[in-house]
Amino acid sequence: MSAQVTLALRVNGRAYERVVESRRLLVDFLRHELQLHGTHVGCEQGVCGACTVLLDGEPVKSCLMLAPQAQGRSITTVEALAGRDELHPVQQAFRDAHALQCGYCTPGFLLGAVALANRAVVLEGAALREELAGNLCRCTGYQNIVEAVERYLRQSAAGRRDG
Amino acid sequence: MKPAPLEYLTAATAEEAVTALARFDGNARLIAGGQSLVPLLNMRLLRPTAVIDINGIPELDRIAAADGVVRVGALARYSTLEASTVIREQVPLLAKAVPFVGDRQIRNRGTLGGALCHADPAGEMPLCAVTLGARLHIVGRAGRRELDAEAFFEGPYTTALEPIEMLEAVEFPDGSGTEAVVVEHARRHGDFAVVSVAATGLPARDGSWRWVRIGLGAVADRARYARRASETLTGTRLQRTDVEAAAARCLEDAEPASDVRASAEYRRHLIPILVERALNELAGRPR
Repeated sequence: MSAQVTLALRVNGRAYERVVESRRLLVDFLRHELQLHGTHVGCEQGVCGACTVLLDGEPVKSCLMLAPQAQGRSITTVEALAGRDELHPVQQAFRDAHALQCGYCTPGFLLGAVALANRAVVLEGAALREELAGNLCRCTGYQNIVEAVERYLRQSAAGRRDG
Repeated sequence: MKPAPLEYLTAATAEEAVTALARFDGNARLIAGGQSLVPLLNMRLLRPTAVIDINGIPELDRIAAADGVVRVGALARYSTLEASTVIREQVPLLAKAVPFVGDRQIRNRGTLGGALCHADPAGEMPLCAVTLGARLHIVGRAGRRELDAEAFFEGPYTTALEPIEMLEAVEFPDGSGTEAVVVEHARRHGDFAVVSVAATGLPARDGSWRWVRIGLGAVADRARYARRASETLTGTRLQRTDVEAAAARCLEDAEPASDVRASAEYRRHLIPILVERALNELAGRPR
């Protein structure tokens, strides 16, 4: 019982242990304590999805979790996606479809898409838009974002068939 | 904004959670999914001395059907409800309502119990609980008690839960064989409902309907079960004239307020329209 908590968790495959303030939001923990600035802070009330990360593989909004709630859990942020020299397939699909403008919402969309592919989900059109409805793009570039995710999900499915 | 300073505790059992609530003399909050609580903390609309995390309580997310009821643990997340065959087959109204809640990320975290305790008058979970006549199981210092959903909700964001009590589980009547429909009007996709309608019933072989129940959301200070309108439909074939009469009667249970989303007048206009839509869909008639 304390205003501080010793937090042990895995982020992008690496184990961390830090003493954090109990009120620390997970998104601020990632950005300020671990210097992982790819996860963005938007609305801080769970509407915009810019802070989306994967919690044990499933997308959640990291502005709506206290950091201590991630005790013992595994977090994936956008920094885990690209390799040293090459983009992750979902990033390549976004690049090919010109699916980002200012880029602020992009990490959230990327992780939502990766979670779908990891569950072997292939969606398109309205059903995909429904699935991505928790992420807002204020540049309103939704058409290309949806196209990029459709492309990526199709590629992932093809990869699973071939692989 | 960020939450004001607070203490963070975890509870391993319901009793431990209640003991922790008692220790802070009512100035602590339980946190489950946090999808309504954390925005309130971030905006500092709430400044509890402590939050007590109940996510580690084993079995609290369990869904089990037995003896004519489906018992859903308070910690059952929307995504769990969405994936549950028991919910789809035995509480179909809940299955129909869950996709209206938030979005994928919110549904991965948010819980049934959290939504009920938050008691948003426009929320889908209170609407389902009231429509289906759910029983709420509550743990306190003196032991356990049960409440009907209609008695649990006392007003906007206000429930009969005492500061040193925890909602443990919700029991829904086994709705095997029932049909269910949820209809909502919202200003934007995924936004809170301006008016929502839940309708369910059990079709009999002779074409008549049993156990017809209509619920109304965002039409009063809490979700409403439209008792009189529902009772007039039981035994009918849900023909257009039956449906129109029941839709008009639903206004008797509505005391809509004007707010940022819509005027009271507009809500009164919407209620019979959405009830008719819901009942026609329930009866298998295209809109």
